[in-house]
Amino acid sequence: MIYDIRLVLTHFYAQSADVGRHRLRVVPIDIPECQSVISWSLTGDPTPSERRDSLDFFGNTASFIAHDIQHNAMQIEMKARVERKPHMPAADLSPAVRDLQQDICRVSDLKPASPHHFLGSSPRIQPSAEVTDYARGVTKSAGTTKSAAWQMCEALHHDLLFDDRATTVDTPLEVAFAQKRGVCQDFAHIMIAGLRGIGIPTRYVSGYLRTQPPEGQARLEGADAMHAWVSVWCGGNLGWVELDPTNGIEVNTDHIVVGYGRDYTDVSPIKGMLRSTGQASVSQAVDVISIETI
Amino acid sequence: MHTPKRRSPLISDAVSMSDTPVASHSRDRSQTNAVSHLLRNYSPQDLSADELFDSNGAVRPVWNDFLHHLAGLSDDAVATRFRRGNQYLRDVGVFYRKYGDKSADERDWPLSPIPVLLTASEWEEISTGLIQRADLLEQVAADLYGPAQLVQNGHLPASLVAHTPGWLRPMVGTAPSSGKFLNFLAFEVGRGPSGQWWVLGDRTDAPSGAGFALENRVATTRVFPNFYAHANVQRLAGFFQDFRNQLSNLRLNPDEPIGLLTPGQMNDGFFEHAYLARYLGLLLVEGEDLVVKNDRMHVRTVEGLRPISVLWRRLDSEFLDPLELNEDSALGTPGFLEVVRAGNLSTINAPGAGFLENRGFMAFLPQLCEVLTGRKLALPNIATWWCGQKEERAHVLSNLDRLRLVPTMGVEPATDTQPLASDLDRFLTAQGEFFVGQEAATKSTTPVWENGGLVSRPMTLRVFLARTDQGWKVLPGGYARVGTGTKSNPLGMQEGGSVSDVWVINPERQKTAATPSLIKGEAASLAQGTALPARAADNLFWLGRYIERAECAMRAFRAYHGLLGTGASPDDPLPELIQKNLLFSPTNSTKAMAFAFEDPVAQAQFCAAKIRDRFSVDGMLALKDLANASRVLSERPVPLEEVPSIVGTLLTKVTGFAGLVHENMYRSTGWRFLSLGLSIERAAQTAKLLSDTLLPSAPEGVFDLALELCDSVMSHRARYFSAPSATTVCDLVVLDVRNPRSVHYHISRAREHIAALPKRNGQHGLSECERLALQLETRMTVDLPDQLTSDGLLALRTEIWALSDHIAAEYLK
Repeated sequence: MIYDIRLVLTHFYAQSADVGRHRLRVVPIDIPECQSVISWSLTGDPTPSERRDSLDFFGNTASFIAHDIQHNAMQIEMKARVERKPHMPAADLSPAVRDLQQDICRVSDLKPASPHHFLGSSPRIQPSAEVTDYARGVTKSAGTTKSAAWQMCEALHHDLLFDDRATTVDTPLEVAFAQKRGVCQDFAHIMIAGLRGIGIPTRYVSGYLRTQPPEGQARLEGADAMHAWVSVWCGGNLGWVELDPTNGIEVNTDHIVVGYGRDYTDVSPIKGMLRSTGQASVSQAVDVISIETI
Repeated sequence: MHTPKRRSPLISDAVSMSDTPVASHSRDRSQTNAVSHLLRNYSPQDLSADELFDSNGAVRPVWNDFLHHLAGLSDDAVATRFRRGNQYLRDVGVFYRKYGDKSADERDWPLSPIPVLLTASEWEEISTGLIQRADLLEQVAADLYGPAQLVQNGHLPASLVAHTPGWLRPMVGTAPSSGKFLNFLAFEVGRGPSGQWWVLGDRTDAPSGAGFALENRVATTRVFPNFYAHANVQRLAGFFQDFRNQLSNLRLNPDEPIGLLTPGQMNDGFFEHAYLARYLGLLLVEGEDLVVKNDRMHVRTVEGLRPISVLWRRLDSEFLDPLELNEDSALGTPGFLEVVRAGNLSTINAPGAGFLENRGFMAFLPQLCEVLTGRKLALPNIATWWCGQKEERAHVLSNLDRLRLVPTMGVEPATDTQPLASDLDRFLTAQGEFFVGQEAATKSTTPVWENGGLVSRPMTLRVFLARTDQGWKVLPGGYARVGTGTKSNPLGMQEGGSVSDVWVINPERQKTAATPSLIKGEAASLAQGTALPARAADNLFWLGRYIERAECAMRAFRAYHGLLGTGASPDDPLPELIQKNLLFSPTNSTKAMAFAFEDPVAQAQFCAAKIRDRFSVDGMLALKDLANASRVLSERPVPLEEVPSIVGTLLTKVTGFAGLVHENMYRSTGWRFLSLGLSIERAAQTAKLLSDTLLPSAPEGVFDLALELCDSVMSHRARYFSAPSATTVCDLVVLDVRNPRSVHYHISRAREHIAALPKRNGQHGLSECERLALQLETRMTVDLPDQLTSDGLLALRTEIWALSDHIAAEYLK
């Protein structure tokens, strides 16, 4: 499946900003056998005075831009054409959750996909007794790690309501969990906290969803903006498995990956500092259109 | 098998038996008695080593001369000397911050005036061990920010590294541009029961205390000046000189300043940062002074951006860059890590070096040392088990009677707050990565002065290492932390411990005479030759404005009470004018009106505190004194008749401060901004006052009041033989350039300061500020006194404010 993706981020400043510096993580990445980026571009208005693209620790494309002129608004446009290949269902070779620890211990490296990075706490995810108890409860019948992850995904999809007015980007996951509503970021953070709480390495995935569903299928939640889901480490044999708790589905060709991280902090689409006073308002628009394969 | 408690008689025997050749002149019985009197309460606890006594209960020879010297001093002499040390610290302004519930208070530096004495050979043993450890830590850092072979080969658990918050993923794959991750280290070292020295902690991120070591030394030598001069104590200055040279050599360009990056005045180490910056000739900068442009780091200065490539970093790594590290950090600089990765910035130490402070690494360092160097650790560290591993966790859980459970990061908990034993197993299974079990470290004891004699208190050394072009150098002494009572207490100052100097005594006289004084020559001139950071200029400018604002309010306040003292009522027109128009007070209560000067004084003090490195100690003390005095009127009710004398004292203090600025301050760019602030504020305040004076509704007596507030009563009498009128008052306090209280005088002075300020990059002709100032000055020159109106003067004030805004926009951001 080939997609044309377009993202427009717009910032309006109450007072004109003097100098600004931003880090963007909006460009899809290449993933062998799964996703390849055919072309991409990133432009800004006003045109950034500095720009550098590099790969970060987790292998995501990070773009640093700076502005050195007075401006009242900033717009960033990212366009990419990406091919997403379907993956065949694999047999569930994952160990039982209680045996997963041995698999983890056998991994002695600190490479980006090492499960060690994705246990314990991270900037926005601290161990939460409530979420861990919930995870333990909904996964108790699971025979394998993968089935535990799947049960957690389904449970969250069932128990939490998608509500884009209930939380903000800085709402702690405990709050979203207590009120049982939130957006994809909250779904993902809660799922990560719960699975890590029962010893399963889990990472945060940021990316895009196709905007219009194929004929006869329902539109997925979260397609109007950048989306988030999770990736679960199911042992040495099976490796990482991606699940989308907001939509209660296993990730396949409708999802396009931009980045992996410990939580939102590692892959936030835009993070910036500028010398200005007053509030800034931000808007985000996303189009993900599938084009005919030739 | 342990040192028994020794009683005084035995001690005096020991002392008399172990006379050293240095002190070979005979010591008579009275001296010996004096020493035993000194030690009457000195009883080191069992089970531990002691610095004063060896394991046989004899005084270690290195202490003999010092003990006799101390014993030879009368109680009064001792008290006088100790006072001298403390006086020095107060005069220099050494303080630390105590973090309390409400605010971070400044406290006196808790110096214990009795130094810890160690022999050169003992120090050599410590130094050799720590240099080996420093090299080992460098290897571990280089590996874990590089290939991570120690993990792949199973020498370090991946999980330990991944669970160390200080291991900064954005730094992985980056080689520091200085070539080394570690350039300045501190170690906590203690002596165990067998007399063996142990490493208790590694400080690898941004270790603090070296500046305090210097101050400990200077203060202690004030206490024992004659003795110190002949005691063969290893000096400290050479270490700093060598380190300074190293920083200097790391610069990309020899014209650049070297920065000392501080978290700012609210940090507990700010005094030390300002002190070290001054001592070493470094530019003290905060994160907001720095700006990244085109892969280089720059300092915002009054002359524009100036590149900088070396920062001695006293800001923790985590806060350096809000874009890539702690995103809530307001202390850092966006883009900091980009410059580091581009290889254009050496930070001492490299960002992320602090991960080695994780106590979990202590469990693996002994083995890593053998793996990487083929040798054992010369100086062992305290036995440690990392609870992230199953077997080690079990070991810790079954040995909790002799092991302490300590978090891997952060300060040792103040008390032995062990989690409840019932759920400890489960707790550690979930959170084990963040805990170690460590042998409860008994510490050696050292003498401290208490109740007219010496008592024994636990102590640990903090030892500083700096990398120089000749390899690691060790600061010979300077800093020991001394506990308050029982041995298991941590020794932090926050918990009430004290600090003492450490003297490393050479067996014979050494030549190096340098006592710590400012490093001379190239080094000291460096920072002064650098452009003034814009933030420092901003604080100096506003310091000037606030001081002047306070003075104007004090004069108005005094005049108000003068009127009441001569029978006026608060409701009379003149007092009411002062209250409402000059003091901006809604009520006529003393407290409400005093706020008009109390607040600017507090603001002035706040500005000054941020630029401690550029501000004289006398200036700081004068401001502190002024701030304390200005609070008197709001802190307690004062009888009305006492108010004038209190305000009189305040005015003396505030004019004294202004005098200090104009008589004592070096005519630097910084001084110009301070003086500019004073002039701008005074010109604006006077214009407003005269505007009120010329109002048609102004009450009778207002001209006399204006003259009084402008301190121009005498000048008026000398210039005019008539009673004050609108014309004479305007002439004297607005237009007369010879009157140092006039608007014209201050606008001219401001114009001269602006003309003398450094030009911005590539600027030709008059700057906008110069143009505005010149226009104002010309107007003051050509205007006639009888043409001035109330509205015109109010508009003049607005223009003076606009000039201030232009100065801010051009130089101060």
